[in-house]
Amino acid sequence: MFDRLKSILSKVDADYADIRYEIKKDTKIVFNGKELTEIDSNSTDGYVLRVLKNGGLSSVAFTKSMDADDAIKDSIVNAILISKNIEKPVELAKTDILEDTFIPNLNEDPREVSIDEKLEITRKYNNIPLKYDMIVTTNVGYTEIIREKYFLSTEGSKIREDLVTTRIRGTITSSDGEILQNVRVGIGGSNGFAVIRCKEEEFEKRTSIVLDLLKAKPVDGGIYNVILNPDLAGVFTHEAFGHFSEADIIEDCPSIREKMQIGTKLGNDIVSIIDDATMPDQLGFYKFDDEGVKVRPTQLMKNGVLVGRLHSRRTAASFGESLSGHGVAEDYRFPPIIRMGNIFIEPGADNFDNLLTRLKDGLYLLDAKGGQTSGENFTFGAQYGYIIKNGKLDKLIRDINISGNLYHTLQNIVAVGDDLELSRVGGCGKGQLNIRSCSGAPHILVNDVVVGGV
Amino acid sequence: MERLMELARKISDKVEIYSIDEKTDLIWFENSKLKEIDTKIQSGVSLRIIKDGKLGFAYTKDLIDREEILQNALHSLAGGVEGVFDFPHTLVTTELNTYDPSIVSLLNTEIVNECRRVNDILTSKTSGQINLYAERNIYNIRIMNSYGTDLQAMSSIYLFEPEILYPASYSAIRRLLIEKKFKKASDEYLNFLLNTYNQSIKEVNPGKGRMKVLFLPEVIYVLMWRLLSATNGKSVYQKESPILEKMGERIFNKKLTVYDDPLNDKIPDARGFDDEGVPCQFFSIIENGVLKNFYYDLYYAEKMNMKPTGHGFKTTMWAGEIVSTKPTPSLEHLYIKCGDKSFSELVSHVDRGIIIGGALGAHSGNIPNGDFSIGLSPGIYVENGEIVGHVKDAMIAGNIYNTMKNVVDIEDTLHPTFVGTFPAILFDDVSVLIKG
Repeated sequence: MFDRLKSILSKVDADYADIRYEIKKDTKIVFNGKELTEIDSNSTDGYVLRVLKNGGLSSVAFTKSMDADDAIKDSIVNAILISKNIEKPVELAKTDILEDTFIPNLNEDPREVSIDEKLEITRKYNNIPLKYDMIVTTNVGYTEIIREKYFLSTEGSKIREDLVTTRIRGTITSSDGEILQNVRVGIGGSNGFAVIRCKEEEFEKRTSIVLDLLKAKPVDGGIYNVILNPDLAGVFTHEAFGHFSEADIIEDCPSIREKMQIGTKLGNDIVSIIDDATMPDQLGFYKFDDEGVKVRPTQLMKNGVLVGRLHSRRTAASFGESLSGHGVAEDYRFPPIIRMGNIFIEPGADNFDNLLTRLKDGLYLLDAKGGQTSGENFTFGAQYGYIIKNGKLDKLIRDINISGNLYHTLQNIVAVGDDLELSRVGGCGKGQLNIRSCSGAPHILVNDVVVGGV
Repeated sequence: MERLMELARKISDKVEIYSIDEKTDLIWFENSKLKEIDTKIQSGVSLRIIKDGKLGFAYTKDLIDREEILQNALHSLAGGVEGVFDFPHTLVTTELNTYDPSIVSLLNTEIVNECRRVNDILTSKTSGQINLYAERNIYNIRIMNSYGTDLQAMSSIYLFEPEILYPASYSAIRRLLIEKKFKKASDEYLNFLLNTYNQSIKEVNPGKGRMKVLFLPEVIYVLMWRLLSATNGKSVYQKESPILEKMGERIFNKKLTVYDDPLNDKIPDARGFDDEGVPCQFFSIIENGVLKNFYYDLYYAEKMNMKPTGHGFKTTMWAGEIVSTKPTPSLEHLYIKCGDKSFSELVSHVDRGIIIGGALGAHSGNIPNGDFSIGLSPGIYVENGEIVGHVKDAMIAGNIYNTMKNVVDIEDTLHPTFVGTFPAILFDDVSVLIKG
């Protein structure tokens, strides 16, 4: 394979070029209610060529080998066009020239588990909620994505890496004839098929929640002090803060970039945040990014002070900051953009009971239901929650969305728990889908949060 | 494809092959600077086979190894997915004008120059940050099946979307221009962006409460997402719709008429047939507030003992791979009938209220139930019929089956968006929460 890539790169007349070829093996099993609606396993492939010429950086993603010459031509023309229309030429930060192969150690390789067994496990989990009359439907699917990546650059880097992701995720929907409620369910990881096994309890728990939600009351919209559980606090960390740590997001937005200067005190003293994609058993693990840079743990916030940022080679040069190895693509259809790996709030000192006592009256919100950010503003949903009265869990509540401002919220995190958890399934849609996007946190106590009811 | 059809027919009862070839150029200016030009040259083939009432599905990006895709389809078939429907025998579909050959000779240089021209106009008239996105797309789809259907659709799309950002935010006023060929942005189009933005620069905090809310066309998708979920044949079959028993009943204000019009080829991407080869048609969803139809693909039409409505499309969220998805019921050419008020008249009818120019978190919340709870990005405050500023840390929340009963007026002009072609709609009595 590398010989073919070398042959393509040899035809590129540019200051720098790299090419990534990927084979993507995708297995899907989907149940909608009791019915199996999809089961298939397929392999696709493609190339992404990037060219830097005269200070213009451009990419072409193509499918067929026979399109390589057109891709080279288009990438050169586009790079020159960019170079003529920008004031400051693009530079790529210097990186080590690497020749390496990384095949992850898996706790049970999904390729060695038969499709029949995968089907039966998915069916078994899907049947758990369907035992109950008030469960109207489910949408539960097994997904296995294996990316075999080959990266070659004109600088001499030559890297082969596999990424293996398995998961079962979906929604469970209940109805009492009047209203519909749903919860998400998800198990999975990047370290082998074993994470899929023996998760009946998780499906039982989610079923119980969605049935209880039929009797829950919609939250009253208002401003509350809240405890966010690790999943929800992780989504806040990813959505509100994490995207602002991606240099390509803020690079050309001067008003935001000014606020995100390294050394600026942004959060409360107790808030420290890191992105560490080198943690081998976590969802967001990888060794080399899609620019051939070895990923490294990147401290982003320390005791409320901004200390680091996630970079591609282009932004590291542009910002004059260190490379971090976060130029990641979804697959062979996309050039790399800056993505988080495993981002989380580092654990603090308080256990959950202490947080409840400190909260006294407010809301305890659990499990994310989608999130989005737009500059310093963010919105995300919680799947359910509880009213907290005098430090004790009271009634179950539903229909919860939170909205806020990043800077105010970072300052309003007044306590951080000691119980860090990281997510097992991911899905961040920043132009491309990153199914290995992993976020986490301990329980956190946040003051003055806007909660929108229905 | 013919050879693949021949081989597939030998191993199955019914065969369908879908192929796509596509080329896209994406151009992105950020803060008035050209940042990216990326190109995608993509193709792919999907195969569906039916044998003994079971369905097999497979796909590839490059049809080199026909044996591999056939074997993958056979393995899929063995899984036991029900395939009791027939592929359609479609020989004739409505002729549509969907392709303008000038798109091929359009140089990226011309698109870049148009971006620069618009950028110069906008930056000379506003202090807000300017971003611009442009795209040129050409695709060719072919659908064949073993009943003799062999259809092709070729489309050209030029898309342009400038945006003006509020300070320290990605909250922006934006509007899409979409044509079958390159077209310069008009002064009227740019003036809407400039006027709306410039009048709302000041940050204000009017406090929370129930008030009038004007959804710009760019935000109507939040409401339509819930309606499309409820009227989707799959939701109907799975009893995951709150309006299962409401057919023929008035569920929204009588001013609201929602329809699907794939045959309107004045707008790019019109289609005479869906991704299963079923002829497309004008299709009413809501007529004067009354629920008229649910929409189906082949699979769910068979399940519900209905006729397929021509809405089986391969759709993906988050830029997914088209050939890897099977058709599902989808309204790809959605419209809301326009009303009789100009945009400025709509604004003048607001004594105290919010114009929503963008939504955060539209995908979260209890969509099947019709609930929405979105951050405003931006929320523009109107008092006594005039824009006075924008609000921060604000949300609106509601349920479409309440909110869409409270239509005050509808704009007299339709605007293309990424989800459909909509007017601005003014609603009354919407819950607005703003952090003080």
